Amino acid sequence: MSTSERILPKGVAAADFDAALARFREILGADSVLTDSDQLAPYTKIMMAGDDDDYIPSAALLPTATEQVQEIVRTCNQYKIPIWTISTGKNLGYGSAAPGETGQVMLDMHRMNRILDVDPEVCTALLEPGVTYQQLYDYIKENDLKLWLDPPAPSAIAGPVGNTLDRGVGYTPYGEHFMFQCGMEVVLANGEVVRTGMGGIENSSSWQVFKWGYGPYIDGLFTQSNYGIVTKMGLWLMPEPPAYWPFLIQYQDPEDIEEIVDVLRPLRISQIIPNAVVIVHTLWDAGTHVTRKTYYEGTDSIPREAIERIKADEGIGEWNVYAALYGTPEQIEVNWKIVEQAFGASGKAKIMYGEEAEKRGGGFSYRSALMKGDMNLQEFGLYNWRGGGGSMWFAPVSQAKGSETKDQTALAQRILGKYGFDYVAEYIVGWRDMHHVIDLLYNRQDPEETQRAHDCFAELIDEFAKRGYGLYRTNTEFMEQVAGTFGEPLREVHRTLKKALDPNGILSPGKSGIRL
Amino acid sequence: MKLTRRQLLKNGLLVGAAPLAMGAAWTSQAGVADAPAQGEISLYGADRSATELGLGLRQKGLTPRYEGRLDPLSLNALPSGTLATGFTDEAGLVLLTSLLAGRGRILALGRHAADADQLVSHRGPLAGPLVAEGSSWQAALGREYGRLALTGRAGRHARQFRRPADATGTASELSFLIRL
Repeated sequence: MSTSERILPKGVAAADFDAALARFREILGADSVLTDSDQLAPYTKIMMAGDDDDYIPSAALLPTATEQVQEIVRTCNQYKIPIWTISTGKNLGYGSAAPGETGQVMLDMHRMNRILDVDPEVCTALLEPGVTYQQLYDYIKENDLKLWLDPPAPSAIAGPVGNTLDRGVGYTPYGEHFMFQCGMEVVLANGEVVRTGMGGIENSSSWQVFKWGYGPYIDGLFTQSNYGIVTKMGLWLMPEPPAYWPFLIQYQDPEDIEEIVDVLRPLRISQIIPNAVVIVHTLWDAGTHVTRKTYYEGTDSIPREAIERIKADEGIGEWNVYAALYGTPEQIEVNWKIVEQAFGASGKAKIMYGEEAEKRGGGFSYRSALMKGDMNLQEFGLYNWRGGGGSMWFAPVSQAKGSETKDQTALAQRILGKYGFDYVAEYIVGWRDMHHVIDLLYNRQDPEETQRAHDCFAELIDEFAKRGYGLYRTNTEFMEQVAGTFGEPLREVHRTLKKALDPNGILSPGKSGIRL
Repeated sequence: MKLTRRQLLKNGLLVGAAPLAMGAAWTSQAGVADAPAQGEISLYGADRSATELGLGLRQKGLTPRYEGRLDPLSLNALPSGTLATGFTDEAGLVLLTSLLAGRGRILALGRHAADADQLVSHRGPLAGPLVAEGSSWQAALGREYGRLALTGRAGRHARQFRRPADATGTASELSFLIRL
């Protein structure tokens, strides 16, 4: 199979594309405009169950300054060139660094990686989109600042701006990332720059401390959207607490998920446990460091018998709760008693901390690191669980109620089982909500299995929606379908905004199902 | 994949940043280390497959430098222009391709089962099956990767080749050929 013919943006003539590329080279320099097949190859790597031929960019642009981004969008308007924006390109399993559709030009912001400000008094940062968590972490350490970050699992290589714009989550008390965002600089489709919140006031000192500004609050319009290109973002950083107490609670019965959530909910809402707690299923906890074939060679769903062997061999529970307490030692002592009492009441929980938790199997070590904002890449191990390079995150939201969690778990296991896939999942507990995150792992080298994964994911979306559960985020292959589950009136508002802000539809067409 | 502090410090993403002065981490590394010698190629992998791959590369006139097991983040510390090849696992491949976006070139990738090879080249057409009298498929892959590393051709080509089953094992392996 050969695909050496030239890829052009949809509806754009070769001569116009050449003229646009020439202009991009004037703006950025020739080295920052990529068109060779081997340079673009990293932008074609997808893990979702789509056709590779649907996700090939025509070029990639690497700006280093807001002014260059302005000039790029002006050129795109002139030639009707669609661009797909990425920050660090680490949205793995959600579309990675590939375009939303073949022919789009990648706008890769990773070279815009300046840490513009970190204020240790009010605990804020102002960043460009290419800054990685590791880069910010090192800056904080090197300057001996008493601040913590809240990275997602691919911490070191991902970036706070991109993750926040996709409304990602982490594991500290600042786990709901968009909640801790404050102020943006955005390049609009017409090339103008707007600063949100207090940023419109010249020399404002409160851009990173007061979210709302004056008039309608618009920051949310630039998350999971294609209404503008964010070139700067303010974030709130967590002050390092005087003491930190990570712990692990294991339950062994599949039915226990209901009790866990009902015990956790009041502790989370009252902030006794302040962090984004995770409730990790056996296969996720094991999958970060063991491979499936060690326990089961079949291509259908891994059977209960094998799951029980994994639990026994690896020291992992059916459900593994990773949480932490933060504050002064005195606060932690009081709150720990409350936690022990709450989880100990039924006699089902095994509550562990320190050396005992370390010695158990699973992920206490790397989970403890994540819950205090440290870097690691342990969860990349999940890609070795089944092998074959296929991974899609199915992530429905529910209330933090045991009845809903039990319902979602059973529904997911039934549908995954029907298609022969494993339930590799965790729940992330927000203040009142649950993000049920399932990694649909499959062999992408097998066309039949890939089609099966596609069908499975589509059925998961539809069946969950029928029961009132929507996804908080999805990959580019399924954005259209997920947008459909949220109803036509909302989609019409999205389209109206798109027409007003981007009348030529040049910015990330199809993102979240939004296009002209 | 657990990373030591030392490993993290070695990668270009960890270059210390001062407000308003942070340069591109990758760019800042380029040119710091010595430029690769003509014909040198970094070779990753820790078993017989890597050794055989190196043999094939040498037969094409390249000089492999054995680097041990691949830590994709460590590639960031290598100078621009460095050729690298070897074997990795699924997690390593995800990390590797992801880190190369805007930073390097993927010349070829391979998925190798006991009796078949699936190869993707971004350096023009692929040669025939990875079999040769008295030679392993890994050595044949080394010769093919050596040829692709040295060719000036462009264009994406993908092919699947069958070959006699490898008596030494059935585990699947993933290979890569990149230029930073």
